[in-house]
Amino acid sequence: MQALRTAATGMAAQQMNVEVISNNIANMNTVGFKKQRAEFQDLLYQTVQQAGAQSSDQGTIVPTGIQIGAGVKTGSVYRISTQGAMTATSNQYDLAINGRGYFQVLTPTGETAYTRAGNFSINDQGQLVTQDGYQVQPAISIAQDATNVTISQSGQVQVTQPGNPVPSVVGQLELASFMNEGGLSAQGSNLFLQTGASGAPVTGTPGQTGFGQLMQGYTEASNVDPVTEITALIVAQRAYEMNSKVISTADTMLGVANQVKS
Amino acid sequence: MDNSIYVGLSKQMVLRREMDIVANNIANADTTGFKFESLMTKEVPGPPAFTLQGPSPIKFVGSDGVARDFSQGGLRRTDSTLDLAIEGQGFFKVTTKAGDRYTRDGRFRTDDTGRITTQTGAPVADEGGGEITVDVSKPGQISISSDGVVSQGTERIGKIGVFKFGSLSALEKTGDNLYQNASNQQASAATDAKVRQGMLESSNVNPIVQITKMIEVNRAYEQVTQMMSAQADLSRNSVARLGKLQ
Repeated sequence: MQALRTAATGMAAQQMNVEVISNNIANMNTVGFKKQRAEFQDLLYQTVQQAGAQSSDQGTIVPTGIQIGAGVKTGSVYRISTQGAMTATSNQYDLAINGRGYFQVLTPTGETAYTRAGNFSINDQGQLVTQDGYQVQPAISIAQDATNVTISQSGQVQVTQPGNPVPSVVGQLELASFMNEGGLSAQGSNLFLQTGASGAPVTGTPGQTGFGQLMQGYTEASNVDPVTEITALIVAQRAYEMNSKVISTADTMLGVANQVKS
Repeated sequence: MDNSIYVGLSKQMVLRREMDIVANNIANADTTGFKFESLMTKEVPGPPAFTLQGPSPIKFVGSDGVARDFSQGGLRRTDSTLDLAIEGQGFFKVTTKAGDRYTRDGRFRTDDTGRITTQTGAPVADEGGGEITVDVSKPGQISISSDGVVSQGTERIGKIGVFKFGSLSALEKTGDNLYQNASNQQASAATDAKVRQGMLESSNVNPIVQITKMIEVNRAYEQVTQMMSAQADLSRNSVARLGKLQ
């Protein structure tokens, strides 16, 4: 019976929906996290009777066909790249991007990864690194005796050193942007890699046309809205229940058919 | 005497098909832009299994067609720039490898070249059937007006086409939330439909109606099966009795 398999696709889809929602809720407080959405599409249709087929020699046509759907599938899990709220931290190495763009990070494998999480630190050599110790590109080194670090909206890094009232420029941060941000591949640890679907990265300085500005002393909160997620969770749970109800009803019908006396 | 069993069988087959359709509706209760379907039945006159005295009308049950309810699904806000919903009659047109398809599912995005596409990567057509390309290196938010005009900042970059058909029954579902025009009717511009940016049209499946329908189908199936069993008992008893008389 098709209904059994159709309902099974429905349950599988809702299960994936709950997985995506739970990941969103789990990352509600992850800096720079972008929420995801499971997107469903209907599956193939079996055409039993073709609409528009000739129904007689006189040229009359069948007005409505019969198509039986085979259920639902997950078309994609789409990342929604809207801006997250700014959280003031007053940590001088915390950077948030207000607008488009990603920070570039050099991973241990030598690849360039991209991230929106700007909660950076300084490593033992004075280099600006992520929470995992990966170097931010282009590399920025802060002298050990620096008393104050200022990062401008356009990404210019200036340090104040003792005995010198004029701050000196030690580097310029750059951002990368993509034609299709949804096509980036998530690597965990808030990092993304470029794919064929995302297009090649275009780099530029913050504040330049097409790039957001940097905000020092702020981090970008995740764009997960708990109320939306909880509502989606309730919908997913109820949809799951309904599909399981279909399975038990189809099973009852098969049971009835089995009890027919010959 | 076997006639009622055959009539019952025809009803069982229709009920199973109906159950398949209800299952598909429920599986897609959360699919954006999905339109629910229901099975239409008709009576199929047929010759009885053997000739009786006088006229003996016998009517089987058959499936007549699948009716698709194109009523508006609820709009829900997502605030995602390229999420579009149509309020009123009309479809977006997308250009797939297999030809033009129509959809009410407005979860669009840009691909690696900046074209506005569906989630399967098929470009969304503008009013003339061309593509709409967004240049992300230019400043400005993408805004889409209620008549489908796409602007980036202050610059107009295209107009999303919304099309309608004289008769919706000739549309055929091809999966992936797409419809195919199966007849020779031409799509025309839907001028009264409104495009809503940052919103999606939910599936118009009403869970209560579908669950009720499912219970109905289940009970009808039980009843008709019981009727067939009773008929089989009757046959068996009559054979047994006739045997005794001899």
